Amino acid sequence: MDDRLRTLLIRSVFLFLISLVLVAGFWYHREFYQIGFVNLLIIGGFVTFLVIWAARLAMTGELPRGRPSEELVFSLEEGDRLLKNVAHLVVRPSEGLAVPGVGHVIRGKYETGTEFVRLFIEDARRAFLSDVTDEDARQSGFRSALELQDAGAARWRWSRADVVTLLRVRPLGGTR
Amino acid sequence: VNLSSVVVLVGLAAEAWLLAWVAVRGRRRWLQATFAACSLSFLVVGAAFVGTNEGLLPAIRDDVFLGLMLLTHALTAILVLALIHGETLPRQRAAAFLLLAPVPILAYLAPIQGWTVGTAYDGNVLGGFLVLCLGVALAETIYAWHSSRMFAPLAFWLSVGIISLIVAGPIYTYELEVLGQAPIAGANVAAPLALACFARVALQSDPLPVSPRVPRGRTTSGAIRETDAIVFDESRPKYAFHAAETEAAAGRATLLIGRTPPPMTSSDIAFAPLVPGRCTALRALTTASEFLGSSPGGLVVLQDVADLSALSGWRSVLESIVRLRHVARGTGSTVIVSPTRLVRSEQKELNDLDLTRWVLPDPATEIVAILSQSFGTGAGRLFDSFCRAHGLRREDVTIDHVPALMAFLTRALEELSDVVGGPAGRGLRAQFEAAGSVLRSFSLQEAREVARGKWPSREISAADAELVVTAADYWKGKEMEELFAAADAVGEREPLFEKARLVFVEQLGDAGEGLLRAQLARLGKKPEEIDRGDLVRIADRASVDLGGLVQVVDLPQERERIHRQIESIRQRLELIAEEDK
Repeated sequence: MDDRLRTLLIRSVFLFLISLVLVAGFWYHREFYQIGFVNLLIIGGFVTFLVIWAARLAMTGELPRGRPSEELVFSLEEGDRLLKNVAHLVVRPSEGLAVPGVGHVIRGKYETGTEFVRLFIEDARRAFLSDVTDEDARQSGFRSALELQDAGAARWRWSRADVVTLLRVRPLGGTR
Repeated sequence: VNLSSVVVLVGLAAEAWLLAWVAVRGRRRWLQATFAACSLSFLVVGAAFVGTNEGLLPAIRDDVFLGLMLLTHALTAILVLALIHGETLPRQRAAAFLLLAPVPILAYLAPIQGWTVGTAYDGNVLGGFLVLCLGVALAETIYAWHSSRMFAPLAFWLSVGIISLIVAGPIYTYELEVLGQAPIAGANVAAPLALACFARVALQSDPLPVSPRVPRGRTTSGAIRETDAIVFDESRPKYAFHAAETEAAAGRATLLIGRTPPPMTSSDIAFAPLVPGRCTALRALTTASEFLGSSPGGLVVLQDVADLSALSGWRSVLESIVRLRHVARGTGSTVIVSPTRLVRSEQKELNDLDLTRWVLPDPATEIVAILSQSFGTGAGRLFDSFCRAHGLRREDVTIDHVPALMAFLTRALEELSDVVGGPAGRGLRAQFEAAGSVLRSFSLQEAREVARGKWPSREISAADAELVVTAADYWKGKEMEELFAAADAVGEREPLFEKARLVFVEQLGDAGEGLLRAQLARLGKKPEEIDRGDLVRIADRASVDLGGLVQVVDLPQERERIHRQIESIRQRLELIAEEDK
């Protein structure tokens, strides 16, 4: 089954179950809700709003970790590697890099500014560029550490003594 | 069976399971005990409610029930306080138990004042105490959420737990009161949810696994006696690890917290591996705090602060360092912080903490500087020959490699003895001995001495500024070139077996040589017959054999360490094979 369709189905079932729980709750507390129509409207409306809001945040992964606040810019080629699950590692110079820690979600954007993916950060570490191994390079979609260094040298003018951050990421799907 | 009894009964099963889960998975006895006390109080109240409600137990007196209710509320507040402050205020942990003091008094006063379970949350002293307990827990949680970046992710779950207790406690009692129905005598239907949230927080902030275990008790040995946090300012954490090794060898309880396991050492350094997670900075703090709590006077080396920053965010790391400093002072211990790979803004903020700072050199640079005092500008060439011969990169050389370097230079001189004789040969040997003496004394210097700043590289720079041609460069002529060539030749001529042996022994200790010889035996070759192709084959076979060994090791951090050793052996053997082309 298509990933998007499956996600939609799971979310719909989850929302339906919450609706059932809410209705059951109102029925169970029916006597309490005889406090008057206006009171019921305000209190019941507020409770329903809170539950649906929390459910929405939970389903989008924004609760409790919050909305994705940072972003990483990728070239078309890099983005393609991530979307096709060829690459799981993103290597960026640490200096000036603003990404949250593990367990957060960041926006993946093309250089044109279009958001194409949300990435869940599974792991992060820092290393000197000279310490990046061939295995790291392969996981980030390059054939060797040398190729990775060359690719970055043109873009960031980094040197072997520079510190880089290696982020292991998992795409969460397209933009919403 | 009454519906509320069924709900409470299901909750009891969940509470019992949570109690067992924390007892099995937790790593902090004091916190496990507090959690057990809290969950047991909820279990007893719930069981009493179901028992009386279903007629299985005789009617329980109101003051007894109220006493149990008071216990659940007080223990909830104590548990939340322990979860938030337990690690940074280890000596003040017991103070939270003062919340239990009013429990017997209020339980005693209950029949006199006419307080009942149904009116427990009314506006009287009893209701005030119950609400105060939940209020203290909620207020501390909200404060921690807003004031601590490190604790904020966990404060969310604490607040969920406490709010659910408030909703299912005072608020639900109020609802039932409005409806004129009997309250659920003391039992809180949200207790399982609250305990699940508390269990999650307890386990997510649990210390990292430490191996090997260090015996409990105060340690008084060791050379670094500062009861504070010391920043070892160096490009790579070489002196930090060396200090850990030296202190552990002296019998001091030493813990290394880092991303990768240390190489094989003869000392008993305990190691806690950083595992990826949002709360890794907090877990590093709890690990160090627990360690220093059980071994006061010990040493903790926080090796990969930059990795912690990447995992949990710099603010959390900074907070954990500040708290760790307090723990170190409180326990008479030392914490070494290695700021390698931090970015400039992080370095600056770390400096602003005003911690003791030891600026340390890169041993490779200093070794070259010492060699250049005797061998002039060709020192770098000599050093590179040594690195090539041992499959090392310059940046990997530490002061522990000095004996190997001395042996290498000795062999180079022996190579030369036939070619350079007479006064020139004696002069060369004198220069070698002078360099050896300085190298040995430099390698014996502890971090504290080195941090005073008398580095060979600085002395050389000063001397070079005054002289256009150094004395060493002036009087050494042709024989220097011959020495460099001999050093290159040592690397080339040194049997491949010897190079491989050094790699195996460095990574695996004395057992490494046995493993190498076993691999040779399988190839059907003698040490002197080994060639470049054999070296690659040995690297592959050793990877497979040691990889099999990893499968039977249960400890994840040990598995990780062996993996890294295998990788290091393979890489260095391949490097030697490449150099030998």
